[in-house]
Amino acid sequence: MTSPSLAASRNASSLESLLRPTLFVSELRSKKKASVLDELAAALAAAGLTRSPEIVAELLREREGLGSTGVGKGIAVPHARSTLIAERAVLVARSAKGIDFDATDGKPVHLLFAVVAPPVEPDPIYLKVLADVVRAVRLSRTRQRLLEASDFDTVREILIHAAAE
Amino acid sequence: MPPLNEQLDALVTLQDIDLMIRESRDPEMAIHEGRLGFARENVQRLEQTRERLASRIDGPLLRTYERMSRRIPRLVVPVEGRVCQGCRMSLPTSSSGRNTPGTSIETCENCGRILYRI
Repeated sequence: MTSPSLAASRNASSLESLLRPTLFVSELRSKKKASVLDELAAALAAAGLTRSPEIVAELLREREGLGSTGVGKGIAVPHARSTLIAERAVLVARSAKGIDFDATDGKPVHLLFAVVAPPVEPDPIYLKVLADVVRAVRLSRTRQRLLEASDFDTVREILIHAAAE
Repeated sequence: MPPLNEQLDALVTLQDIDLMIRESRDPEMAIHEGRLGFARENVQRLEQTRERLASRIDGPLLRTYERMSRRIPRLVVPVEGRVCQGCRMSLPTSSSGRNTPGTSIETCENCGRILYRI
């Protein structure tokens, strides 16, 4: 029989391997959606995920133009697959003040998870990562803890645990 | 027409937009994203973006992309450390320059993909 902790770690594996200290923006400087996407792309570039942040930002904007990835409850998951992304990644970013992200519930976004990947077709892992991110933040107490976390290690621990619940 | 390096920027973006358009028309993907709460309702906008990007690419280069991308997935690929990221083969040492304005497009001798140097 599989122990609960082992099952949990298996469920969380897609996020666990992708969360890194260099992919964490504790407090976004930007306040507007377009500039937030630029800031996220710049952070991905700083972490070595891309050398073309302008193009990655443009792709994130195009995906948002298709329909907002602000799923409500203060969460947004901007995502794109690009030739210019070196590997799958999840960048976690926070905004205490909140960002108008055209979210489905009209409320400001405080937690952002930028999910990027190279354009492999089909890519079930990419889809699983998107699903794991959304599942990890479904509970109000998790979202609150993520906003209050003092550092990346705490954020990572909260997300891994929440994704496995 | 913009310099070749700017055309290649437009081409690589267009290739990613093509993927986004394919995903948008994929019913399975639409169901998956819909379940997660992501809106997907404005595919027309992507097509407009594609047209805008295409207008920045020289006719022969665009036609080459349109023709070859039907049989070679990810036709435009970056070069990392002189390795083609499409087939992972090393490029000859003579092939190490950037795509600079006025030069012709560079292709991988092994897989035929268009190389994008950053």
